[in-house]
Amino acid sequence: MLELYHWEPNAACARVMICLAEKQLDYRSHYVDILALEQYRPEHLERNARGEVPVLVHEGRALTEASFICEYLDEVFDSRPLRPAHARGRWQLRVWQKEVDEALAPSVIELAWQRYRQPLLAGRPGEELRQHIEQIPVREKRDLWSRALCAADPEQLARARIRVGRALARIEAHLSSEPWLAGSDFSLADIAVYSYFNYLPALCADLLNEHATPRTVAWLRTLAARSAVRAALSRGRGEDPYAVAAPGPEQIRWG
Amino acid sequence: MTVELYFFQPLGTNSGRVFLTLLEKGVAFVERELIGPEFEHLQPAYLAVNPRGQVPSLVHDGQVYTEGRAICEYIDEAFSGPPLRPRAPLERWSMRRWCRLIETDLGRSLMMIHWNRIVPTFVGGRSPEEVEKILESVPDPDRRRAWRSAYLQQTPAHDLAESQRRLRSGAQSIETALRAAPWMAGSSFSLADIDLLNFFAFVAQWSPDIVNEVATPCTVAWIQRMEERPAVREMRARSRRRATPPPR
Repeated sequence: MLELYHWEPNAACARVMICLAEKQLDYRSHYVDILALEQYRPEHLERNARGEVPVLVHEGRALTEASFICEYLDEVFDSRPLRPAHARGRWQLRVWQKEVDEALAPSVIELAWQRYRQPLLAGRPGEELRQHIEQIPVREKRDLWSRALCAADPEQLARARIRVGRALARIEAHLSSEPWLAGSDFSLADIAVYSYFNYLPALCADLLNEHATPRTVAWLRTLAARSAVRAALSRGRGEDPYAVAAPGPEQIRWG
Repeated sequence: MTVELYFFQPLGTNSGRVFLTLLEKGVAFVERELIGPEFEHLQPAYLAVNPRGQVPSLVHDGQVYTEGRAICEYIDEAFSGPPLRPRAPLERWSMRRWCRLIETDLGRSLMMIHWNRIVPTFVGGRSPEEVEKILESVPDPDRRRAWRSAYLQQTPAHDLAESQRRLRSGAQSIETALRAAPWMAGSSFSLADIDLLNFFAFVAQWSPDIVNEVATPCTVAWIQRMEERPAVREMRARSRRRATPPPR
C-alpha cells in the first residue's frame, strides 16, 4: 500500500503524482495544506523532520525529495519504466534532476510566489501568520517563510528570471534534435521539467511563447494532453493547481 | 574504449568524488589535470569540453559527461566492477539523499567558508583589472557572483555564520547515521561514502571542534576505515598539493 502526503498537484507534488499516474499505481492520498502550515505539525514532522511535501510512505518507511521518490518508484515497480534504459540516458536524466532541483525549482517558485502570494494571503491577519511562522521548528523553513512575507528583492527576482531563461534556452535547443529530454522516450526528466514549466505561460509569456520557443510550447502541449498528466493534475482541491504557489525550496546559497 | 577525466588537484570535493569512484570501480583512465590557480578551466580548450567551465568532466568513448553526482552514478551503471550503489531501492534512495545533502547543503556551506578564506590568496599578485577580467570569463552568473563575493570579501557575516551552523548540524546527522549503520546508506559501502570523504572528512582537520573522537566517535572511526581502503590510499598517493597556501 502506497500513501502520499501532498499539497496541490503542482511543482514537486506534481512530479510524484504524475509519476504514480504514469505507472498506474494506486495510492492513498493525504492532503497537507501548505498555506495553513500543516507540514510543520508534529505528526508530519515525524514523517519528515524538514516538514516537506511530498512524502511517500511505502512499507512503513517515509521517503522525501521528489527526484529520489520517483527513481525509487521506478526501481521498485517495473510497470511502465520511466527511466531511460541506457546509461547515457540515465546520466542525462540525473543532470536534469539536478538542474530542476537546484536552479529551476527555486527560481520558478520564487516568481510564482510573487505572482500569487497576495490573493493567497488575503484575509489572513499578517500578525497571526507571523506568529505561526515564528513557531516553525525547522530553522531553514522559518527563515524561508519569513523571507517570503517580505517584499520581493527585485535583484533576486531578476536572477530567478535569468535562470528560468537559461533553462528554457537549453531545453529549446535540446528539443531541436530530440523529442524528449533524456534518452529516446518520455521519462522522469520530462515530468520533472514539466511540473515547473507549467507555471511559466502565466508568469513569463515573454520568454515562453510560440515565437521564441516553439518546440518547448509544443512539448508542453504534448505533455499536458497525456491522460496520466491530466489525471494527476485533477487531484487537487482547487480549480487550477498552477494558479497557486507556496514558498520554497531555497535558492542555492553559494554558486 | 577510452576514459579521460578532467579534474583539479589536490583531489577533493567534486574532482575527488569522481576520481575515487573510478578507482573504486577499477576503471583505468587518462588523467587530464587542470591547473585551478591558472584558471585553465576557463580557457577555450576546456570550454570546448564543458561550456559551463565547471570541473570535473568525464569523457567516455568521445562523449562528455558533466555534473559530479550524475557522473558517479553513470560510472556505476556503465562499467563492470564492484557495485557502488546498494542493491535495495530503499538504501539507494537513502544514498541519493545523502549525496545531495553532502554536496548541496554541506558542500556549499563548506565552499562558502573555504572560498572566502582562499580566493584572496588564490588570485595572487594579479591586479584588480586582471582579476575582474578573470571574473568576467566565468560562464555561470551565480558562480561568478560567488567568486566576486569571496574575492572582495563581501560575503555577509550572517551567511557565513549560517554555513557554520549547517556544518555543525550536518555533522550531528552524519554521526547519527554512522552510529546506526557502518556506511552512510546502510549496510553497504556506496557513493554516499565516497561523497562524504571528499566533501566533508577534511572538516576533521579544519575544524576539530566539530569532528573529533569525543563529539563524533563514529565519524572518526568511519574516516579511519575509509582511509584504509586501497582505492582511497591510491587516491591519496596520486593527490598533489599545488602552491595554494593552506586555509587560515
